[in-house]
Amino acid sequence: MNHRQSEHIALPRPLHDENARQDFVVSFRRHLSRQIAPGAYAAYQNRVEPELERELGRKPKDADEVRRGMLRDPLYQMWSAMQRQSQEMVWDSAIDTIERTLPELREQAKTLGPLGSLRLSETLEIPRYHSVYDIHLQPGGYHQDSGSDDVAAGAIYDLGVPIYAMGMMGPENNSTGQTLVNFFETAWPEARPERILDLGCAIGNSTLPWAQTYPDAEVHGVDVGPACLRYGHIRANALGVPAHFSQQNVESLDFADDSFDVVCSALLFHETSRSAVPNILREAYRVLKPGGVMIHFDGFRTDPIEPIRAFFSEWEIYNNNEYFLKTVHRLDWIEQAIEAGFPADGVAMRKTPFVAFAPLTERGTKGYMTGFGDVPLLVAHKPS
Amino acid sequence: MTSASPKLLRTAKGKKPVYFDDVTDKLLSMVVALVGEVSVLRDRLDTVEQLAAGKGVLTSDEVDHYALSEDQHRLRSERRDAYLARVMKSLHDEIAGMAEAPADATETFESAHALS
Repeated sequence: MNHRQSEHIALPRPLHDENARQDFVVSFRRHLSRQIAPGAYAAYQNRVEPELERELGRKPKDADEVRRGMLRDPLYQMWSAMQRQSQEMVWDSAIDTIERTLPELREQAKTLGPLGSLRLSETLEIPRYHSVYDIHLQPGGYHQDSGSDDVAAGAIYDLGVPIYAMGMMGPENNSTGQTLVNFFETAWPEARPERILDLGCAIGNSTLPWAQTYPDAEVHGVDVGPACLRYGHIRANALGVPAHFSQQNVESLDFADDSFDVVCSALLFHETSRSAVPNILREAYRVLKPGGVMIHFDGFRTDPIEPIRAFFSEWEIYNNNEYFLKTVHRLDWIEQAIEAGFPADGVAMRKTPFVAFAPLTERGTKGYMTGFGDVPLLVAHKPS
Repeated sequence: MTSASPKLLRTAKGKKPVYFDDVTDKLLSMVVALVGEVSVLRDRLDTVEQLAAGKGVLTSDEVDHYALSEDQHRLRSERRDAYLARVMKSLHDEIAGMAEAPADATETFESAHALS
């Protein structure tokens, strides 16, 4: 599947060599995933696990024990080193294009569109879990900002994430949002939410599908990164979708109590911290209307997992600056939601297919492409 | 046709120092050689572009803004994959000698899980 997005006026267009570099990174990452990573898994079965069994006198019991053996396997080392290299190349290849087009982009940012709104904060402090390292190795992080017309972090994200995801983000770079909307409208086909809040919205690619599906709703996206939000506002206008973006820390929102029908997030929690989790869930509970629903999608564990698979699922933790993902894997999210105020009988872990909105030629039911597997959700209701 | 030139020596006599370790030193030589070859390729392409521009066949600007069709995109993607397989042949050979991993072994890297 083609990783390149459908064009919109806010998205910078790569020139020939920039495209060629970005295409190479996608091919490289696919090759590593499809052909070399299975080899590293085979190396585990063929030589690492037997060696660990000899040392331990039993089979390795968890990812940490598997890790001890895998880190010294040459094939794993080779794959892992190249996988890391490919991640650095994702951003490097996208930054080429953004650096070249930045003057135009900044000019665009000065004439913000008429749809929706953008509200930035003068005083917001970037949380430590964003400032101590650059998440996913995006240089400068999502929060990098050089002033009032800076949109670079957002533009890099918009061009880079589809390369990172090797096409899984779909032609509109929004499959995370599509996945949540698809779950919601399938579970509650009669629902007509009036106000929807997307936490940790970055450039609003997870936010806009809500506004597109429920055009009468007022849709909000909040994030800490100002350049992402500025870009997100321009992007929403380029796509003709109204949404309200504001720069806020999701641990302490300025929205009124009981004011949203839906509060959601896509891949937010693993980019926060242990102390942030209860704050975020409490805020979600507070701003939900009675009868409202909270839906989060992240790396929650819903099923037991073999040690070797757990080990591979932790690769991004140690190699891609996603340190909190390990805790996200292990936390009891139902307990967390109950502690935040949700009633025990109103909280559930669910699974839903990951979907991307498809180009017309590739559409299945409801216009979605599937086949990317299921993703875990935390779903909770505030009592009516 | 003249007779083929004799092969000249390519490696100097004498002990080569070890800088990092044997494997790392070899990898570094490979990378530097590759960097040189890419530079040569780039210069060659520039020559072709300049010649073509001089004859009014195309301009560099047309190359910069060239849009691929879906089919071309797919063909290039397949070609890159075959190219990568050649480059990584030593790894593929090693993998081929082992019992295979289950088909879904690494869905972590090419499914929705890869995004978290």
